[in-house]
Amino acid sequence: MFRIRITKRQEPRGWSSCLVVVAAVALSLLLSGILLSLRDIPPLTGLAVLFKGAYGSRFAIEDCLIKAIPIFLCSLGVAVAFRLQVWNIGAEGQFALGAVGATWVALTFPDLPGPILLPAMIAMAALAGGLWGMIPAILRQRLQTNEIIVTLMMNYIAILFLDYLVYGVWKDPTSFGFPMTREFSPQAVVGKIGSTGVNWGLAHCLVLGTAVWVFIRFTRIGFELKAAGDSVRAARYAGIPYDRLVVLVMVISGALAGWAGFLEASATINRLQPSIMVGYGYTAIVVAWLARLNPLSIAVASFLLAGLRVGVENLQLDLQVPAAFGDILEGLILLTVLAGGLFTSYRLSVRGH
Amino acid sequence: MRVLQALAVLMLCLSFATVQAAEKEINVGFIYVSPIGDAGWSYAHDLGRRGLDGMEGVKTSYVEAVAEGPDSERVMQNMARKGYDIIFATSFGYMDPMLKVAKQFPNTRFMHCSGFKMAANMGNYFGRMYQARYLSGMVAGGMTRSKTIGYVAAFPIPEVIRGINAFTLGVQAVNPEATVRVVWTKTWYDPATEKEAAKSLLDVGADVIAQHQDSPGPQEAAQEKGVYSIGYNSDMSAFAPKAHLTAPIWNWAPFYRSVVEQVRKGTWKAESVWPGMETGIVDLAPFGAMVPRDLQDKVMAAKADIVAGRNKIFVGPIKDQKGAVKIAAGAVAPDPDLLGMTWFVQGVVGTTE
Amino acid sequence: MELAIIVPLLAAAVQSGTPILYATLGEIITEKSGVLNLGVEGVMIIGTLTAFVVALATGSPILAFVAAGIAGTLAAAIHGMVCLWFKGNQVVSGLALTILGTGLADYLGNAYVGRTAPGFSPLALPLVSEIPIVGPIFFNHDPLVYLTYALPPLIWYGLMRTRPGLCLRAAGEYPAAATAAGLDVAAYRWGGVLGGGFLMGLGGAYLSLSYTHLWTNNLTGGRGWIAVALVIFAFWRPGRAVFGAYLFGGIMALQLRLQASGTQLPSSLLLMLPYALTVIVLVLSSWRRGMSEAPAALGVNVEPAD
Repeated sequence: MFRIRITKRQEPRGWSSCLVVVAAVALSLLLSGILLSLRDIPPLTGLAVLFKGAYGSRFAIEDCLIKAIPIFLCSLGVAVAFRLQVWNIGAEGQFALGAVGATWVALTFPDLPGPILLPAMIAMAALAGGLWGMIPAILRQRLQTNEIIVTLMMNYIAILFLDYLVYGVWKDPTSFGFPMTREFSPQAVVGKIGSTGVNWGLAHCLVLGTAVWVFIRFTRIGFELKAAGDSVRAARYAGIPYDRLVVLVMVISGALAGWAGFLEASATINRLQPSIMVGYGYTAIVVAWLARLNPLSIAVASFLLAGLRVGVENLQLDLQVPAAFGDILEGLILLTVLAGGLFTSYRLSVRGH
Repeated sequence: MRVLQALAVLMLCLSFATVQAAEKEINVGFIYVSPIGDAGWSYAHDLGRRGLDGMEGVKTSYVEAVAEGPDSERVMQNMARKGYDIIFATSFGYMDPMLKVAKQFPNTRFMHCSGFKMAANMGNYFGRMYQARYLSGMVAGGMTRSKTIGYVAAFPIPEVIRGINAFTLGVQAVNPEATVRVVWTKTWYDPATEKEAAKSLLDVGADVIAQHQDSPGPQEAAQEKGVYSIGYNSDMSAFAPKAHLTAPIWNWAPFYRSVVEQVRKGTWKAESVWPGMETGIVDLAPFGAMVPRDLQDKVMAAKADIVAGRNKIFVGPIKDQKGAVKIAAGAVAPDPDLLGMTWFVQGVVGTTE
Repeated sequence: MELAIIVPLLAAAVQSGTPILYATLGEIITEKSGVLNLGVEGVMIIGTLTAFVVALATGSPILAFVAAGIAGTLAAAIHGMVCLWFKGNQVVSGLALTILGTGLADYLGNAYVGRTAPGFSPLALPLVSEIPIVGPIFFNHDPLVYLTYALPPLIWYGLMRTRPGLCLRAAGEYPAAATAAGLDVAAYRWGGVLGGGFLMGLGGAYLSLSYTHLWTNNLTGGRGWIAVALVIFAFWRPGRAVFGAYLFGGIMALQLRLQASGTQLPSSLLLMLPYALTVIVLVLSSWRRGMSEAPAALGVNVEPAD
């Protein structure tokens, strides 16, 4: 009789987590291939269409980058919070409020010159998102309220608030009654890089990603966040009260998601409308878990999951696969990665009797 | 002699080639804003698309659940790059993205549903559903005893508001004292919420339930309470055989066929079309057995009037909820006013927010 | 709002709260065993689809109801595998299950939209449904609602007064000590996960068998998440869960009835009511007693001994 014995490792294996992610993604593709065959689509053909749609042309890569930008920023924020075991499920709502904040500035001061208007929009977006992240943090620390539920509920509230504004006071008078704001003035729009379709938000991501990397690498808090499993210890070593650390982390998290909201409203849609919400905040959770707190990994994972979204569109167009296929893959990838964590965090040995 | 022979062969080959080119397949693309199963709106368009599948040399394809904004822009670019001959976008929010893509691909034809912007290669189209709504209102007005009619509506956008207004005018044509109460569900396809909304209207005394929703939820509620209902999009009598009086329905297939024929013959040009009941694009579903003969006759006579152009429905004097005259006596509301309608007529109880 | 609307509103609250109640009771069982399952929404919608498909295929709502419970068990088992076998993080695993579950239901359910299935109809209980006020509110519903009247006391009894219930709670409160005393903590946690999943599946089934006889991909509409919140609000007690579920059912029914009564409040703001109330209720619950009512080892995977 053989028994598998599981013991926890002192230090989780580093390189093998990469292997685990790859194996997990492969397994997920396999399982979703089975789902494709349920619709009489040969799995390999389907997956090929998916990949070709995602990465098979210059336009596709550009589309991936465009989508990866908001996912990256939201994930950056969520990853920081997760590291402290603060479960920020509210990136979606923080994104929404960031977009609302930026829109308010754009609609109220449309004629300001670009170099003043854009930073003002960013500031408002980060402020709004940060505030929306701060509330659950304070509730968590002061009143022991579960942040998972609070952030989730606040997502719904934020999105409904956005709806309320675009159906009401912010509705464009020339939009024939459809819920959308006026188009932003040219100064309020973040432009595209050269003749590509990608906007300068990519540069924002580079800067912010580097800032987070510096923060993790060179500050005391950052180092402890990355290294420690015990968040209270991190706070103690950094000399900051744990409560304030949690609030700080959630403000940063919310601000980053808010920045993503600003970019979507300004660069991609050039106005505010309900369809700005496509679930980036939830995809960010998947990315944050896959990539942990390494901005480079977050960038790669964001690009991959953005590719998934773009590829699924192609899958719909060519093979009429329902859009939900992308969600299934996301869920499968996350579950398989979680399961695979067993192999990196634990040592398995076989014991015989 | 040889030269002449060679020339003849060459001419033959060339004409053969042009014949081949003329018989090239026509690729038609459709973009839906919601899943075709969920939303009766997209479902109705998809039925229209399937009506094209019988045509020789025509290949159709669709992408569903495409968010308005940059996603739709990408999907349209994708289709255009793949060489689609004509693309139909079936939601107002696709208008600006389609315009951008139309400028990038001058050789592709674009048709936008429910919008107003045009380009050399982009036209728009819609159907006068409000005519069918008016007729269904007559049926409701004739069948109500409590003089309260409930209307479960999705979003306060012009086409919904216009439909409610036309419906109410129809009700009042038969039953001047009846009122129409509106409840907004803020969803196109959630049977649970829609049914609950219908129940809330039943609780305040409505005995006919109408809807601008895409699920038969309200129909179920009406049937369970033993009262009457008006469906939408398609004949919903299967879901509520004892309650279903009739329904205003879409019939896009003939319209799509005629457009694709124009493309095939090379006679397509970009224009703004809003066909009405006379073309069959909108219609009234068959009456339920419970509708008395004389009411049926009255409604069919009104239908004949509409088809012949004698009844334009939005003919003044028409007052809004506050009593102000919105359409002057004898005046016919011009199309732009109808397309941007954001006020309710007198007799409607509810807000437009 | 007139008084004549109150009774129908309360009746609607009971109906609207029933699926939430099933799910909340299920999550209570799961959490009592020490496992946090945030995948309720995903498990529920799988139950909803299963019930609809089986009802269509067999014509038997009862069979469909049970099948949904089994499907819910299987869906929850995924969470159990990832957390109990592979020691995955419980919070993230639950979230992943929600994403997977809702996506799967959407994908597989595509063909079933626009169809109607045989389900349950309201069955007025003789005599008691005649009692003024109380009668129409509680005794004029379909059998699945009546089932929920029996469940909370049964679950309470099972958890608090039986030996297996005691063991289950021990697995959630002090797993290390329980293991030392010879208890198979993993087995009881599995029981909690699977049993909870069964009830969540039943809650989902209610939506497509009773509440409506239809299917669409978002029929659960966030009720699974509200159930997770309600577990906290109920202090992990079945009895209080009933109150919470009906309260939320009522709020969801209320905002529509406010509109029907002709209110001028914008509907977007009214729609916020259930979610805002959840937050308020959570804050108040946590404030008064903190999380001290929670099973001590909730959400923490048991590390292997040695």
